Amino acid sequence: MAPATIATTIIVDLRSDTVTRPCADMLYAMVTAPVGDDVWGDDPTVNQLESEAAAMFGKEAGLFCPSGTMTNQIAIKCHTSPGDECICSDSAHIFLYEGGGMASNSGVQARVLPSDRGLISAKQIAAAINSCGIVYARTRLVCLENTTNKGGGTYYSASTLREISALCKARGLALHLDGARIFNAIEASKEYTPLDLGQIFDTISVCLSKGLGCPVGSLLLGSRDFIDRARRARKAMGGGIHQAGFIAAAGLFALKHNIKRLSEDHERAQQLGNALSGLSWVEKVEPVETNIVIVTLRPPLEPTFMQEQLKRRGLLVSSLAAGTIRLVTHLDVGQDAIDWACRVLKDFVPEDDVKDEAVSTAIY
Amino acid sequence: MCGFPVVITDVHFTQKSSCNSRTPAVMKERIVDLRSDTVTRPSSEMMHAMMAAPVGDDVWGDDPTINQLQQEAAALFGKEAALFCPSGTMTNQIAIKCHTSPGEECVCSDTAHIFLYEGGGMAFNSAVQARIISGDRGRITASQIASAINAEDAHFPTTGLVCIENTTNKGGGAFYSADSLREISELCRTRGLPLHLDGARIFNAIVASQEYSTYDIGAMFDTISVCLSKGLGCPVGSLLLGSHQFIKKAHRIRKVMGGGMRQAGFLAAAGLYALKYNVERLAEDHSRAKQLGTALSDFPWVQKVYPVDTNIVIFTLQPQYDALSVQEQLKSSGLLISSMGGGVLRLVTHLDVNQEAVDWACSLLQELKI
Repeated sequence: MAPATIATTIIVDLRSDTVTRPCADMLYAMVTAPVGDDVWGDDPTVNQLESEAAAMFGKEAGLFCPSGTMTNQIAIKCHTSPGDECICSDSAHIFLYEGGGMASNSGVQARVLPSDRGLISAKQIAAAINSCGIVYARTRLVCLENTTNKGGGTYYSASTLREISALCKARGLALHLDGARIFNAIEASKEYTPLDLGQIFDTISVCLSKGLGCPVGSLLLGSRDFIDRARRARKAMGGGIHQAGFIAAAGLFALKHNIKRLSEDHERAQQLGNALSGLSWVEKVEPVETNIVIVTLRPPLEPTFMQEQLKRRGLLVSSLAAGTIRLVTHLDVGQDAIDWACRVLKDFVPEDDVKDEAVSTAIY
Repeated sequence: MCGFPVVITDVHFTQKSSCNSRTPAVMKERIVDLRSDTVTRPSSEMMHAMMAAPVGDDVWGDDPTINQLQQEAAALFGKEAALFCPSGTMTNQIAIKCHTSPGEECVCSDTAHIFLYEGGGMAFNSAVQARIISGDRGRITASQIASAINAEDAHFPTTGLVCIENTTNKGGGAFYSADSLREISELCRTRGLPLHLDGARIFNAIVASQEYSTYDIGAMFDTISVCLSKGLGCPVGSLLLGSHQFIKKAHRIRKVMGGGMRQAGFLAAAGLYALKYNVERLAEDHSRAKQLGTALSDFPWVQKVYPVDTNIVIFTLQPQYDALSVQEQLKSSGLLISSMGGGVLRLVTHLDVNQEAVDWACSLLQELKI
């Protein structure tokens, strides 16, 4: 495609599904929501969201928080005492991307297990549970992430989840789900429902602000007693929001309208993955299971160089690990945009250092 | 985004009726919420501003409305930078954490929100101990603070921070004089102690005292927490203001505490609107609070009404009356008030309660049969 004089730069943002913005219908729902003061327990929309989400997963109660980091951190705090240990994958968000919160907020040590693209097994977990001697930190909590972020959007099978759940129950350990992208896992695997997950996990953190398209927020789900304690922790951590109903309304809308369509994001991610395989500058494309595509670059290409070059061409991507870039599909990127992105990626030649404004003839 | 109808939950007090013709049925439909200025909801203009705001992912630094609010708020107080957080508890807690190390002591009033109403956060989040001082309606003096600063000795926790609340919540909305603030600021500077302002209601203080501007406040305090969700009428949020270096550290702590929100520009837009339009009008809340205070002091069932300096009215009942049942009785008549514990009741005026509502509340209180 020959460079042409283009008036505007088209940006297709595949950095993350967190960049999603409310559609007009979601905004309408937000604007018309009845609100109150949630710190006083008066916000009917927050109350509705919390109870509907809890019911969806077969849990007694829910707690709306400003972020998934907060729901995870509160869960860790409420499941443990300082000096305890939490078992998780070496690519876990709670270990890598929450600012050392496990230690900082709860005095808890992470026991990270080498994962297979983010996934860990019951056998690995069993081997990592500490004995009783006082020299050992007390293993108290196991945390699974589904889908795995750094693992490339992989999801657990139902049988693995049940095995891990049974192990934790037998060994008296709490089991928490970092379900930031749990609906992607549910849609892709077709092996479990939210109710099944509610049976398997003691507590569940669900993000509304990712693929579901909400501007803000996550939910922590669990027993009534747990959520009562979690509410207290949320207050002390500063998560007590007043008229939160505006944001909760987005969550209600999303849970109703934006789950089934996640399979479109998965197909588009597959399409990107296929387009990328075999390109001269690509060494490897990880298997695409949901909406995340991880690409290993052919050396000596560096992620920052690739990100800059693609940005000049109107395509935004992220990078989570050395030598790789990550693309995430989501509801703000339609079929046309994906088709265009595929062309950009295919046409990309590392030696062409484009300095001018991005070239584009497509819509996003 | 234009074109869809904006339906706003109307102000609570919608029914016009003269006091004399009021019937119990009519009274039940009327709700005047004086529990707190946190109950304020966005006006339709604020809502328009919110929904029209350009947004982005603030965790990636991409939300232009958040960025604008932070810059404008910082500039307003003469500070280098600002950080938007979901709540005032979080801005305060982040400030305490950034200013101190575990094991240190924070000097504050015995009525301080950071001590009483943040879930033990000081200890919970920062392993910091509170050194509380009894002041005059929540206001502590430089001399009291000086006496509370620990000497250098391994037995004593190192004094790490002084925190002032202005206006004082439990103190009944009292505000500090400019002289007191300057003295405290000078003391902290001399003793090398950081000074943080819990300015949840700082605009009430500025409007009522007429002695200092936002810029003066910025010069006196190292860091400032300002609530947007109270009298300013925003649905959510507070700002932490300070130096670039401090805010960079605060940004990290906010992340760890889970305060990193995505398209938070919707909420920031409300803040921008409020800073522009909802500050000067606080004077109306103050005069309405005074009106309520004056009315209350005439009632035989009221023991004492504390001086009303801003938008908070604190009062106690004669010993034979029970605060909780008075609160319940008022609630059933449509007037919501809050309790501070220990038989102390509180009314807070705010922009969702207009003159008519306050007049109605006064007459309701007058006709109360206890």
